[in-house]
Parts: sequence; C-alpha cells; structure tokens
Amino acid sequence: MLQFLLPGLGVTVSVTLIALGLGGCIGALMAVFRVYGNPVVKGLAVSYSVVIRAVPVVVIIFILFFVISAFIDLSPFMSGAIALGFASGAYQTEIFRGAILSVPRGQMTAARGIGMSRTKAIRCIIMPQAFRVAIPSLINEVTLVLKDSSLVFVIGVPELMRRAQYASASTMEPLLAFGTAACFYILLTLTLSKLLETVEKRFAIQF
Amino acid sequence: MTEFFAYAVMALPELLQGTVVTLKLTAGALVIGLAIGLPLSLLRVYGPKLIQPVCSAYLTVFRGTPLLVQLFVVYYGLPEIGVSFSRMAAAFITLGCNSGAYQCEYFRGAIQAVSGGQMQAARGIGMSRFQGIRHIILPQALRLVIPAWSNELIAMVKYTAIVFLIAVPDLMNKAKILSSQNFTPIQTYILVALIYLVLVGFLSLILHGIQKKLAVPGLDAGMDGR
Amino acid sequence: MTRSLLRIENLCKSFGATPVVTDVSFDVNPSEVIVIIGSSGTGKSTLLQCLNLLHTPTSGKIFLEDQEITAPGVNQDLVRRQMGMVFQEFNLFNHLTVLGNVAIGMTKVLGMPAKNAEKKALNELTRVGLADHWHKYPAQLSGGQKQRVGIARALGMGPKVMLFDEPTSALDPELTGEVLVVMQKLAAEGMTMIIVSHEMGFARDAADRVIFMENGRIEEQGPPDRIFTHPASERTREFLSIITTGNTDQATGKASPDRP
Repeated sequence: MLQFLLPGLGVTVSVTLIALGLGGCIGALMAVFRVYGNPVVKGLAVSYSVVIRAVPVVVIIFILFFVISAFIDLSPFMSGAIALGFASGAYQTEIFRGAILSVPRGQMTAARGIGMSRTKAIRCIIMPQAFRVAIPSLINEVTLVLKDSSLVFVIGVPELMRRAQYASASTMEPLLAFGTAACFYILLTLTLSKLLETVEKRFAIQF
Repeated sequence: MTEFFAYAVMALPELLQGTVVTLKLTAGALVIGLAIGLPLSLLRVYGPKLIQPVCSAYLTVFRGTPLLVQLFVVYYGLPEIGVSFSRMAAAFITLGCNSGAYQCEYFRGAIQAVSGGQMQAARGIGMSRFQGIRHIILPQALRLVIPAWSNELIAMVKYTAIVFLIAVPDLMNKAKILSSQNFTPIQTYILVALIYLVLVGFLSLILHGIQKKLAVPGLDAGMDGR
Repeated sequence: MTRSLLRIENLCKSFGATPVVTDVSFDVNPSEVIVIIGSSGTGKSTLLQCLNLLHTPTSGKIFLEDQEITAPGVNQDLVRRQMGMVFQEFNLFNHLTVLGNVAIGMTKVLGMPAKNAEKKALNELTRVGLADHWHKYPAQLSGGQKQRVGIARALGMGPKVMLFDEPTSALDPELTGEVLVVMQKLAAEGMTMIIVSHEMGFARDAADRVIFMENGRIEEQGPPDRIFTHPASERTREFLSIITTGNTDQATGKASPDRP
C-alpha cells in the first residue's frame, strides 16, 4: 500500500506549496488594492475576492484547467497548482485585508511623517506588520489548501487521492487505500500546523 | 456572446435540476451537522474528562482530512467491511459528519465566549448546571454563533460540489454530463460558477437580514468563521 | 433551635497548594448586617463564594439554620435558593430584559407560573427603584442600574441571607450612591446581609458588625464604632490608617505591591 501512496505525498505537498505561494502573492497584492487602491483596482480586487469565494474550488479548477489548456500546453500538475493558487488567493486577500486593517493607523502617519511615499510605507512598514498579524489565519489557510489539493485529482494530477484511487482499484482494498490516505493527510496537517506554530511564535508581535 | 446565451438557455433546465439536489444536500448536511455538532460541543465544554479524547479524535479525523477522502472512504471503503450506502446516503452522511465537526468548534467557541460570570449568576439563584446551560448559556451562545454558522451554511453550498465524483446527480454532475456531451467545458462550468454565485449571493443577503433581526442590543456577535 | 442563622466553623479554602481562606469561624444572627473589610487578596471574596457553595470549602463546616450545608450529599442548588448573591461584575443575563432577569429564577427554579413571576418581579424592581425599566436590556443600563437589577434578581428568590461581593467596586463613584441606598433600605427592612466592601462610610452607618480579614484569617471583628475608633489589633490600625489618609490604591482595593 505504501508503495502506491508515498509518491503521491510529494506531489500533494508540492502542489500545496506552489498554490500557497501563488495565493499569497495574489492575496497580498489584492489586499493592498482593496485597502489603498483607487476605485478601479479596488473594484477589481473586490470582484475577484467575492466571486472566487462564492464558487466551489472544483469549479475553479475545471474552468482554469480548460481555459489554460486552450492556450498553452501545461501539465495537469501545473494547471492544478495554478488553479488552486488562484482560488486560495481570494481567501488570502481577505486574510491580508483584515491584517492590514488591524495595523494601527498611526503607523502610516508616522511613515509619511518621515517622508516615505505611500508605496514605500506600505512595503516597509505596513506589510511586515500585517504579515505577522496574519500568521495564525495563514496557518489555517495552509491546512485548507492542503486538503483542497485533493481536488486536483479530478484533472488527473497524480497526487495522494489519485494514487489512493489507483491503489484501491489495483488491490481491491478501498478501505485500506483511502484510510491510509486519510492518515497521511492527518499526519501532514498535524506536522505542518506544529511547524508553522513554532514559526508563528518566533515572529509574532503584539500591538 | 450570443452563442453563450443560446447554450445557456439550452443547458439551464438540466443545471437547475441539479441545483435542486445541491440545495437538498446542503440543507440535509447542515441539519445532520447541527444534530452532531451542538451536542458534541456541549460534551467538549461540560463533559467528563474521559470522553474528551473521543471527541478530539472525531474532530481530528473530520477536520484534518479532505472531504473527498472522507467521501470515498464512506462510499467505496466501508462496503469492504459490509457497510453499504447509496450514493445519496453516503453524500449526506459524509457532508453531515464533516459539518458536525466544524459546527462543534463554532458552538464551542460561542459557548466559551459567554462569560463565566453568567454561569456563576445562574447558580447563584439556585439553578442547576443543566438549567444554567439551558436557560442562560445556550441562548446567548446561539446568538453569538450566528455569523460563524452563516458562513458554514454558505460554505456548505460549495462543499456539496464534490459529490458529483460518486455520481450524485447534483449541479456539478449535470454540468459534467452536459460538457462532455456538447464539448463545451468552459461555457458549462462558467454557467455553473454563475449559478453558485447567485446562490451564495442570495443566501448571504437572507442571512444578513436574519442576523439583523435577531440581534439583541448589547450581545455582540464578535465571532469569526471561515 | 439555636439563635444564629448562619454558622461558619473553621472554614478553610485552598486553590491547589495556595491557602486563601484559613480557619475562619463566625456566626451570623438573623437581620444582622456584617461588613467584611480588608485589603485585596485577603480571601474576602473567596470566603463569600464558599458561603453559598460556589466554591467548595477545602475543610470546615457551614450551617444554615442548623442544617449543615457542607455535608456530603447536600443538594447545593436548593441551598443556593436560600442565599442571594450580588456580584461585583453584575453578571446580568444579557439576553433577557430586566424583567426577564428577575423573573427567570422564579419561573425556572421555583416553578412559578409566568404571570405570578412577572408580578413578583415587578415588585422587586419597584423595591430597587427600577420598575420603569422593566423592558430594557442590560446593555442599555448604567452600572448602578445594572447592580440594582442584580439585587432585585437575588431578592426575587426570597433568600434568607443576602451576600454582596464588592457590589460597588466596579461602579463609577457617582453611581455607588444609588446602590448603597438600596442596600441600606434592605438592612432597615431586616434582611440578613453579609457584605464584602471597601465602602467604609456604609460600614460605619449600616453595619451591625465589621469583620477585618488579613491573609485569609479573621484578624478582628466587632461593632463598627469600636473597630473604626479603637481597633484592638495592630494590623487593623494599619489598614484603617491607610484608608483614612486617602491612599486611593488601598481604598479601591488594588493589589498591594508585595502581593501577586
């Protein structure tokens, strides 16, 4: 059983990490747009966040997969990771937005006071603090993306779920196959959470 | 663009049929989740120490694994040990148990957010612990939990999407059939996305209205959910 | 039938290894008003919460009208119906109206029919001067009003003795008056009251007996005249002199620097 599933672990983790990274970049950018942007980019960010969060992740994966396939030849792995990242970005927008809003207003005032431009202030003063505030929610998001990574199995990515399905068909032992996969997920979520919690302790700041 | 509209008109009836099933699944899962989550949360907060590991195990399993895995274990895995469910039953059970785990944590948070002084005051006038929970703690906790529970309701609409993988005839299932029949994946799934958008938007508005109506002056709904 | 309403014998309460109340014994006579004073952290509140069994005493006995309420197997809920408690933080039931707060004990604990409970509740509210506010929610009341509702709620149960745990400590100075007036009225009506408080003026005027606690023990007790003018113990003298020289930290009960 393990021989079937272990390779899937690596794929699952890679997909998750790429999606999180992509989602983080999109989320941080969109959050800044929402808080500091002019009406146009603000509208863009709001629409993105609201629409994507209203639609099931599977649907987003399907749509992006087919759209991407129509233009470029990407592996299901990459399409899946990109789709997941795109979806996660919407949720991370909300996380970062909340975090930015919780940084005391005086910070921006002080930054402008020493002559920083708005952009510089956002980059050097606000975002570093917002990021630290966001860490607990981001840890939660990591777990969620990890679990959502199982959905890219629908476009054929050989991650844990697909491997489990393959194992189940080959060995005629579905309970063992999916049960073991479940245990792997639990292990992954628990280790990742613990790991990230130690990171959080190191970086947390109180206002 | 007109091509899209023409397709939409053709596809909509089928998709709407699937939407009805989706909504049924959502409602059923939430009710089952409530029936599991509320008692479980009470057990977690007020129950004996011995039962806590059992509760934690349940929560870890259902919150630490993907919904998809849970679904497949229930529908494909359990028959191996003689427990067979129909597609719909498997969907309801999985979604319900999953929701129960999350609802338990939302209720637990709300119960614990009701200050300890409330229970003290309840006992001070001679109420038993049970009476205190029933008449003082729960009424307040249930109001505090509304935002998180509303989020769960809306999220559930989206979670039901995966049951198409065990061929439950919901919205996604109809979409898959239509898209392969007509070779129109992008249009179909965009339609699907639009339907979900409308559903979620509509539900959000209704829930927002209900929240406003139920607010007690001074009872802060300060809870956040995902 | 002995004279005392409440008899406390050698009461001790520890939290873990930390003793908070040590070997406290005293009697309470019917209609007596006792005020317990002392600096913060001396176990006054804990003592009070042991009296109505919100905390279980580590050792010692409490007798309510000859019934030992600390005996094993005693129904604590029944005991608490006979004692009313008023909290520093009010602890009003936020989801109920003022009327609801006073009535809920009557309906759910005493089993009164709703109409009767509401009538009685209104009576109690009139007693504390808040009948006009019956429909409001706690969040809409001032601190003094909240505390008066708290008193009405406790009175509604028809208790034999009323316990007040620093009833005015959480109130702004100008609001304490309305609560103290209600408490004085109750005392004049013959209610047996045990009050933990920093309000020395109230103690002087309304108390039949003042108990000074220090380090979890009763240091001294007696009529207010004697305690305030001729305290027998050194510590009592120290405490009172800090109060009267206007050291506000002591008077408002903030923890002294050498206590955790």
